[in-house]
Amino acid sequence: MQNRDHSVVRAVLAGDKEAYGALVRAHSASVFRVAFRISGNEAEAEEIVQEAFLRGYQQLESFEKRSSFGTWIYRIAVNCALNRIGKPVIEAEYRHGDESDPEQKTVQVAARDADPERLLLAGEMRAAQTMAMQRLTPTEKSAFVLRHIEDRSTSEIADVLGIAPNAAKQAVFRAVQKLRRELAPLRGNA
Amino acid sequence: MTHLSEEQIVDLYYGEGTSEAGKHVAVCRTCAAEYARLEQSLNAITAVEIPRKGEDFSEQVWQSLKPQLIPYEMKRAGWFSWTKWRSASVAVVCIVLLATVFVGGRYWERFTAKKDTVATNQHTAQRVVVVVLTDHLDRTERLLVQLEHANGDDPAQNALMQSEAQQLLASNRLYRQSVSYSSDPALAGMLERLEGILAEMANDPKLTQADLERLRKEANSKGILFEIRVMLAHIPDKKSGQEPTKGATSI
Repeated sequence: MQNRDHSVVRAVLAGDKEAYGALVRAHSASVFRVAFRISGNEAEAEEIVQEAFLRGYQQLESFEKRSSFGTWIYRIAVNCALNRIGKPVIEAEYRHGDESDPEQKTVQVAARDADPERLLLAGEMRAAQTMAMQRLTPTEKSAFVLRHIEDRSTSEIADVLGIAPNAAKQAVFRAVQKLRRELAPLRGNA
Repeated sequence: MTHLSEEQIVDLYYGEGTSEAGKHVAVCRTCAAEYARLEQSLNAITAVEIPRKGEDFSEQVWQSLKPQLIPYEMKRAGWFSWTKWRSASVAVVCIVLLATVFVGGRYWERFTAKKDTVATNQHTAQRVVVVVLTDHLDRTERLLVQLEHANGDDPAQNALMQSEAQQLLASNRLYRQSVSYSSDPALAGMLERLEGILAEMANDPKLTQADLERLRKEANSKGILFEIRVMLAHIPDKKSGQEPTKGATSI
């Protein structure tokens, strides 16, 4: 796979633009997945995929042959997503409330003593989790998604985000603290 | 017993905790409870379900991306072309500059060399004239001084004076002829008067006391000796090459 990607990269750099299509077809699903997990929005994730592959094409000369194209384009996608969620466009406007009320911008969540398993299944729990994620900083959110969802190691997260491993670890830890604090009322424990 | 920090427990949850932390959780009831609470919280945070994309999703991405891409060969060619033109332009500018500097240098050299040659020639000629004329006037002054103190009883001295007068007469004629073309009437007049005295002295077949007395009177009446001394005084330094005064340089 890696060797095939490298030969395709060489072909593209030699002027075969069409060859880049093979790389797009091979990696767009994984790029969309991480883009969606970080952005939480399907349309935005699609835009991130486009942007990531465009940037990848433009920077293809800087692609080092010893690395994997999949990892390389994944890193670009995370950075694209990071830039997008860093823009103050999407803000969590809804807060927890006794009942769902669009005018008050509140959302009803289950009672504290409810069964956690039932809560997880409930839509309110999903909304709370989404809101809690939106309150994280872009770096915290990306680091947490990479760590918790994508199961990446601290060094990989540091590499993808372009930060020091200790900073990546701290970002994950801060995200965990915030999420636990936000979601504690739903489960009745911290 | 020191309990684990929250950070250590988080590390442990994600499989990056130390072995000591793992052993501690196994034996410490408090930390085990804390770990269990964290585990419950984080386990509850599940991955958001990824929207199902159709089989043609990748193709759609590629089709919308393709028009935005410029083939690398063209990009290189464009860059190369631009570089080539830029290099050519720089080379042409350099050649033009060099040619301008070269031609300008040649013209400047000629111009300054011509100017310098004229100036040097003029200056050298002036210095030569000053030196020659000054020598002539010096010798004339000495002859007139000898005439002032001479007596007709010494034929040898008279012969020497006549010989000197003949030499000075010849050179004086040349100076006078040259000066007559110049614009220095004072020097020309002085040389003319001097020539008359020198001619009389040189051409007299036998200088007697009476002849010498007559010549002295003539020289004194014409103020020749005074004029020569004034002329010599106006020439600052015949060896220094400084600009000579009028009368000494006008030949």
